[in-house]
Amino acid sequence: MTEKLVLAVPSKGRLMDQAAEALAAAGLDVRKIGSDRGYRGEIEGMNGVEVAFASSAEIVRLLKDGEVHLGIAGEDLVREQITDADARVEFVRPLGFGFADVVVAVPQCWLDIAAMADLREMAPLFRRRHHRRLRVATKYMNLTRAFFREKGIGDYRIVESLGATEGTPAAGTADLIVDITTTGRTLKANGLKALADGVILKSQANLIASRGAQWSDGARRAREAIVARFRPTEAPSGPPP
Amino acid sequence: MAAETARQFEALERQAQTLMAVFTGAGYEAVAPAIIQPADVFLDVIGEELRARTYVFTDPDGAELCLRPDLTVPTCLLHLARHGQADVVARYCYNGPAFRFQPRGIDAAHPNEFRQAGIELFAEADRERGETEVMALILEALRRAGLREFRVRIGDLGLFQALIDALDLPERGRQRLRAQFWRHDAFRAELKRLGTPAAQATGALNKALAGRIAGMDPAQVALFVSEHLAANGIELIGSRSLEEISEGLLAAVADTRAEPVAAATIGLIETYLQIAGPARPARERIEALMRQHGVNVGPALERYGRRLELFAAAGIEVEALAFSAEFGRNLEYYTGLVFEVVTPALGSLSPIAGGGRYDRLLAAVGAGAEVPAVGSAIHTERLLSAVNGGGR
Repeated sequence: MTEKLVLAVPSKGRLMDQAAEALAAAGLDVRKIGSDRGYRGEIEGMNGVEVAFASSAEIVRLLKDGEVHLGIAGEDLVREQITDADARVEFVRPLGFGFADVVVAVPQCWLDIAAMADLREMAPLFRRRHHRRLRVATKYMNLTRAFFREKGIGDYRIVESLGATEGTPAAGTADLIVDITTTGRTLKANGLKALADGVILKSQANLIASRGAQWSDGARRAREAIVARFRPTEAPSGPPP
Repeated sequence: MAAETARQFEALERQAQTLMAVFTGAGYEAVAPAIIQPADVFLDVIGEELRARTYVFTDPDGAELCLRPDLTVPTCLLHLARHGQADVVARYCYNGPAFRFQPRGIDAAHPNEFRQAGIELFAEADRERGETEVMALILEALRRAGLREFRVRIGDLGLFQALIDALDLPERGRQRLRAQFWRHDAFRAELKRLGTPAAQATGALNKALAGRIAGMDPAQVALFVSEHLAANGIELIGSRSLEEISEGLLAAVADTRAEPVAAATIGLIETYLQIAGPARPARERIEALMRQHGVNVGPALERYGRRLELFAAAGIEVEALAFSAEFGRNLEYYTGLVFEVVTPALGSLSPIAGGGRYDRLLAAVGAGAEVPAVGSAIHTERLLSAVNGGGR
């Protein structure tokens, strides 16, 4: 087996651009190997490191299964996709981009619902009246379940939603949502409001280490070299003002 | 996981035959409900803890299905398919696989696939008699399978319900306590809130809004809400009507004005939930506690006593039964007696068998009204391991 450290980097979308910027700012010159569309790369001056380009969801899986040593991914995806995240991976450095809050949002017209406690009260009444549970549209099923359990809400059902989640209450396919928001503008445009204490997670992109990967001495040394390049950000949580 | 080697498989099979022979010998009909079940029925009735651990999938036709996480609900559905109202006395037994995701990882005591052998007794009107029959039969089956050393824990969710019914509580508070019984932290928070003077209890409600609504009747509130929405350019979306939102607002305002519940009442609930120990003395403690507070829990306490007498008559060693008022608080569909059989080797987190009364389940899956139901299932891999030395 290779002694090299494998670093997984996003291969698509805005996160790819921001990750590339962050790596460049850290003085890590990432280059793709072979054809332009290759999925492997290397870092100038670091022979012990191999770069793997993958989608965000794939990076989380690779970290979870220990198939890569390090990876760049949003905390929201990691906590959603790995039920025992802190046992499987280590959040090494917040990277200061990819900010997103995972929040519980309800229709603005629910004047009687401003906090999770109100929702907890209303849920059983809703069930009795409508003969069904509240429907929560989200792609964050695990985060939602854990948060609702912590807040004592049981009378709900999750409707899996893989796109345009904000539109589901107006469309009538869900009653409320759990989704990411940065400014709250999209929520508002869809007639929704975030609940005061309904922030499940303040997420951003992180440099993440897999606890299950094969950590040879070489890989350990390479990890230290990479981590040393990323200075700790001043404000590890929360978007810039 | 269920059996990794042919020898293990055969040992499980032999054990299952022993268990099933005890059940069928007592007049329980052997049934084999489907392993693949409609997801929505399960997800609605099994409670959040088990819901998060159920394997759910969509078939190519788009139907939402699940691998059954237990055999009780499938047996209820089977009974319902035979008898539309489910109100015919019936005794069923089964032995087959069930599936549960293990969030903390899979190990020998927590497999994601395991076999349950169990019994369900439906529509037996004499509740204590039915409970005695089921518990005695399960203990008999365990003994015949070779289990020697075990303890039985019991709880009584009916007693808790009766206590909440009998106390002087505001109706909304009572409903909330019932709804939160399953969630320890939320329950404690609710108790605390009930005992706090209203001015401090004001939580999320928009105070300005509350001030304007106070004193209005429901029709006036509905009008106020509709004008407020229009003035702020808020559309009425989703399935909740103007009336529902208005009622919610009124109730929240009423909550902020409610008298706090007496400290003695809160204390009584807390003291009751701490009662634990041998089943007979526990009964006396509960009785004394109720007398001291002048609370009448009605027939619930008599049922508890009668149950113990019937247990004794059926040969169950009542002195060895450990009662806990808290026990059963993570099993959402139970409504009365709950019990669990544990062995010293596997510990209390890995019970060998469990069961209890679930009178609302048949109604929840489609029977016209509540039907008395009591049942119990054995975790057969654990039983085998306990009998084979694990449980000396």
